[in-house]
Formats: sequence, C-alpha cells, structure tokens
Amino acid sequence: MKAQRPNPRTVRAAQLGLLAVFWVSVIGIISWIVRLIQLSLELHDIPSASIGISLVAIPVFLLLLGLANYVFLGLLWDDSHEAHPSTDDER
Amino acid sequence: MKSDETLGSDAHLLRSIEETGRGFYVAVGLLLLGVLWGVFAYGTQLTHGLGVTGLNQPVSWGFYVTNFVFFIGISHAGTLISAILRMAQAEWRRPITRMAEVITVMVLFIGAGNIILDLGRPDRALNVLLYGRYQSPLLWDATSISAYLTGSVFYLYLPLIPDIAILRDHSSKYRFLYTVLALGWTGSKRQIRILDRAIAIMAVVVIPVAISVHTVVSFVFSMTLQPGWHSTIFGPYFVVGAIFSGIAALIIFMLIFRRAYGLENYLKYIHFKYLGLLLLTMSFLWFYFTFAEYITAFYGNEPEEMKVFWAKFTGDQAIFFWTMVICNFVIPMTLIGIARLRTITGILVASISVCIGMWLERFIIIVPTLSHPRLPVETGSYLPSMVEWGLMVGCFSLFGLFYLLFTKFFPIISIWEIREGREVGFEEVVERVKSYLPNEEKTPISEGARG
Amino acid sequence: MARWGMVIDLDRCTGCAACGTACKAENNIPFVDPEESARDRTINWMDIIPAEEHGEHNGGGPMMPRPCLQCDNPPCIKVCPVYATYLTPEGIVAQNFGRCIGCRFCMAACPYTVKYFNWHDYRRKDGFHLYENPDVSTRPAGVVEKCTFCHHRLQLARERARVEKRPFRAQDYVPACAETCPAEAIEFGDLDDHNSRVSRLKRSPRARSLLQELGTKPKVVYLVREHQNEIG
Repeated sequence: MKAQRPNPRTVRAAQLGLLAVFWVSVIGIISWIVRLIQLSLELHDIPSASIGISLVAIPVFLLLLGLANYVFLGLLWDDSHEAHPSTDDER
Repeated sequence: MKSDETLGSDAHLLRSIEETGRGFYVAVGLLLLGVLWGVFAYGTQLTHGLGVTGLNQPVSWGFYVTNFVFFIGISHAGTLISAILRMAQAEWRRPITRMAEVITVMVLFIGAGNIILDLGRPDRALNVLLYGRYQSPLLWDATSISAYLTGSVFYLYLPLIPDIAILRDHSSKYRFLYTVLALGWTGSKRQIRILDRAIAIMAVVVIPVAISVHTVVSFVFSMTLQPGWHSTIFGPYFVVGAIFSGIAALIIFMLIFRRAYGLENYLKYIHFKYLGLLLLTMSFLWFYFTFAEYITAFYGNEPEEMKVFWAKFTGDQAIFFWTMVICNFVIPMTLIGIARLRTITGILVASISVCIGMWLERFIIIVPTLSHPRLPVETGSYLPSMVEWGLMVGCFSLFGLFYLLFTKFFPIISIWEIREGREVGFEEVVERVKSYLPNEEKTPISEGARG
Repeated sequence: MARWGMVIDLDRCTGCAACGTACKAENNIPFVDPEESARDRTINWMDIIPAEEHGEHNGGGPMMPRPCLQCDNPPCIKVCPVYATYLTPEGIVAQNFGRCIGCRFCMAACPYTVKYFNWHDYRRKDGFHLYENPDVSTRPAGVVEKCTFCHHRLQLARERARVEKRPFRAQDYVPACAETCPAEAIEFGDLDDHNSRVSRLKRSPRARSLLQELGTKPKVVYLVREHQNEIG
C-alpha cells in the first residue's frame, strides 16, 4: 500500500501541516495567557502576577515558534533547491 | 554530501527498528498489563470518588502528588545531559543525548497526567484554562510545564532530523512518516548550519525553562504557610533533587537498552563512570541541601516545625526518612565513591537506590507536614490503597511503554552525533587543548634546531 | 458595605457542640458513615477542637468551636487555580462548589484545616434528603467545602428586606451556630460598625486570634478564659 517513493506534494503538505500545528499550539497558548490577564484585570485579582508571568512566558513561546519556522522553512527551502532539477519548478 | 551514504558500523543502531525480537513483545505485554491495572484503578476512582484512595483529613495529598513531583523531577535528565553537556562541549555526551531527551518528553506527559489523576473533578480540568488565576502556583506549573514540554519536544526533534533522513534512505518501513519528518534533509552545508544554530540556541533556552519547571513545582509547597514547607530553600532543593533523580533514571534506562539492543560498543564503561561521578556529586549536593534544611529547623526549635521534624527523625515517618538518607547518600557514596566498587553493576545499584530514595524524599516532604496540622487536632495518618498502587504501577508502565515504542521508530543513539564526534569532534578537541597551552614561540635558534 | 465577623467567648462556651449540630442541620453537611469516619473523613464545618495543646487534661480538657476563621488575608484563596474560593466584598471567604476542580490545594494551604473534601458522593437519596435545607445546595463528590458563615441566610435576609420594602439591618442576618448557642457564647455581626456588639467584643482585652503570628487576620476572634494568656 505504501508507494516506493511517497508523493512529494503530499509530503510537503504534511510537513507544512506539522508547522501549522506548531503555530496553532503556540498561538493558542499565548492567547490563553492573554485571556487570563484579561480575567485577572476584570476581577481585580492581582493582575501583576499575570502580567509578570506573561512577560517571561510569551517571549519564550515566541522564540520557540521563531526557531521552528527557521528550521522548518530553512531545511525545506534548501531541499527544494537541491539536486532534484527535474521535479524542481522553482528554479 | 548526501545522507544515503554507507552507514558502516552504525548500521547496528538501526537494528532495533528493523528487527523485533521476542523480548520486545514480552516487555510490551508486561507493560500493557501494568497499564491495564492503572486504567482499572482509575476507573474505580472515577466511579466512586477519591475516597477509594487512602487520602483523608488532613492528609489530602499523597501518592499522586508524590508521583507528580517525582516524574517531573526525572524530566531534568534530558536537560542536564543534552543541554549543559552540549554547552560544555563534553564529547562523552554523544551516545547519551537521545536517550536523555526521550526520557524528558515522555515523563512530562506522565507527570502532568498525575495531576489530572489527583483531581476530584477531572471533568472540570478545563476550568484551569478558562478561569485560571496566575496567583496560584498551579498555574505557574501549567505554564512552565507547557513551555518545557514544547521546548523538549522540539529539542528532541532537531538532532533527530538527520537520523530520520538516514531511516528515510535506508529503511523499508514507514517511508511516509520518515520522509515527512526528515524535512528534506540532504546533509548540505547550509542545512547543517541551520540545524547547528537552532540546536545551540535551544540548548541555551531550555536550561532556564527546565530550572523554572521544578522551581515552580516546589513553589506549590513553599508558597503555603505550613511547617516544613514554608522554606526558602525549596526552589534550589527541588532542582538539585530533580537533576539527581534524572541522572539515576537515565543510567537505568541506558543499562536496560544497552543489554536489550546490544549497545555495549556505544555505551561504554567510561560513560557510566562519568555519569556515576555526576551522580555522586549530586548526591553530596543533595545531602548538603537536606542538611541545611533540617539543621535550620532544628536550631530554630519552633514548636510547629519540630512536630514535623521529630515525626521524620524518630516518629512514624522515621523509617521512610532514614531509608531515604541511606538510599540517596550512603549507598551512592559507597558504591561510586569507592573506586573498586564503581563497576557497572555498582553504578546500576546506586542508580536504582537513588530513584527509590528520591521518590521517598517527595513522599517525606508531603505527608508528615500534612499529618501535623497547626491546630491542636489529632495527628493524621496515611496508608495508600490498592487504587493508588495501581495507578503508580500504571504510570511507570505507561512511561516504559512510550519509551519502548519510541525505540521502535527512531534510533535510541544519535547516529548523527556519533558521526559528528568521529569526523569533527577529534579535531575540535585537539584545537581546543592546543589553545589552552602556551603558544609555540618562533625564535631563530629553535627554527634552526628543527631544521 | 458590611464586614461580617464573629467573636466566640470561651468563658461562656460549655463545649456542648450545639453549634456544630446546628451547622450540620443548616448546611446539609453530609453524613459520613462510621467506616469513613474511622478513615478520618468526617466533615465538620464547625468543628469542636481542644482548646489547649498538650493539655494536662489528656484530651478531656476544655473544647472550643472552630468555624472557618474567615481570614482577611486568606492563604486558601491565593492558591486556588480557578477562582473557586475567593473573598467577597463583605469579607466572607466564599466557596464555589460548581467551579471547584478538587485539586485540594486550598486544603493544603489552610493553616487552620477548616476545608473539607467530599471523598465520595455523600448525598442521600433514601428519603433522608427530604429533611435537607432547601436553601443550601448539596455537594457532589470531588469538591471542597467549608463554613460559609451561612451565606444563604444573608441572601435571604436581604431579599426579605427588599420584599418588605425596608432597609437591611445587620441583626437580620445570623449564622446557625450563633443563633443556636445556648450559652450565647457566639456573637456575630458587622465589624465595620464600630458600635456593634461584635466590634466591641473584638476590642476586648481578652480578644485573641488563632495563629495570629501568621498574619492571616481571621475575622473569627476568641475571648480567652480568665487567667488564660493565649489560645491554641
């Protein structure tokens, strides 16, 4: 059932899909943290705790997201410019 | 340089993926039984409530929270070995990093899972997301562990990419999975540079995240006003304990897979010796923190603190306390400190002893304090029930199962890093040592002498 | 806005535990059977505890009532991850049974051990539930509960005042324990009213707070017996 060489388009789609999942998770976590800051402001419940933690946590997540992009797109771009001139449309 | 070159002797590392022996199926079977017991136990708990445990008033935390802290503690194995040794450019880390990183990722799920197991209303667990209060240490836990889990998965994946490329090119199984995950790795200079840079950054980032994880876990206790808990030493104490138990767990896993997959040529005595010496160092460090903690309590002689103190030293918790000290300090000091006893078996026994001792340490932190409330009411007691034992066995089994399944898909020793060590490591180390020594002077006399 | 507090006079208290019994009846405290009780799971929002530590009376000494101390600086609300326990503007430490996830962090944090857990579903369906107070919800398994200063009585008193088109008076609201005590040892009222009986008693030279050194600022204050210097 598995082809000898998997369809490059499907593979590319799955790889970008992985990156998309990573994006969704990180954006989700950051939105969650922001939502909790909102909640603590509404309820006047020590907003400094939420803001303080978000100042550390959000940059860490953004850094991870940035690195993931760097690696994924960097490796995939290099691959599509490597020795597959027959299947490479972008050259 | 394409990645589909001959693997040479390293092809041995792919054997665990290509072939599956009978031992594997036996192991999986046993682990599944353990998991099944855990599932059955949890079902009982969901049906009848937390009353099926041994928890009570006032000892409302027991095995589950102990396991939570213990498993999160073990997750520091990956950080220490991979990140710190990588930054220290310690060449002996190469066959170990993959195993360490896998421990971290798998154990974080189990650790966080134990909190869910402990909840009275797990169906309301989403309330933490919807209505979370950042003043509560549990929210710090949730954020910190999410960051660490994301970071660790990423940090496990990065050095795995070249190995997956090797599998993509050499293996006949799971072609689609490997092709996708290999991200088009061809081993080109540009790709290697990208990966190296990303790994270097991650190594730096993951260390403070990891330290924050176990620090905030300790804050769950130290942010309360309870005797025995409200201590400033808890943050560093827990981190040291985590690294300590993490190394021990790592040694145990290394020895299991060394035997199971015939990796004696990759995991040599020198690796165990170095890890063992690290374990010994952490053992002394652990003892130092424990000593500082208890002598402060003893010298202050505050009545509430002393109730908890004497319960641990001579009271009904004494057996656990002193077993902990023997397991965490006496045994490792003897078996690793004394060179003649520092054999592989000795190091293994010391590691098992430390795992038991560190589990007991978590238990000893939680139960005696809860048993001795400040108000003049009866001292509490705690006897875990079969449900709690079942869930603990289930957790350990699930951890083992996850780990075993990983080794069926990916090489448990980083082929890429071993190669890097052979091809690049030697020269780098020679250059480095040269740079430590005084530069060679070029005088006419010596030049003539060299002729 | 009022700030509700309580003063318990230990010189008047006879240790009869009528307050505890009234509390159980008023708040539908679950009946924990003898087996579970032997495993230390009894729920006592109003608990009667020994009034002295290591008393010479060997456990037979004077007893004192211990409701939730309703702290002004509560350690329990700080650690709740989901706002299930919080301080209302009128000073009552509220407990939201519908929000609680049963993590029991507040139980671990409370230095007075006033929080209790529903280890099983203790609700009765055998006809006994017909005797329950309809104004107080019964709690499912897996949530934390504690003394609420009979908060439902406050709500009822306010509603009654509104229906009767008159202002709400502080003396319309009294928890079951204070109402029941045959020795009139429990005084309850508005601490922000400088002239209320409870405020005056709180300023008495005999007034002590339990575990005062912790800075929890409990609004339940004890009047120690003559010749007694401290409590607990």
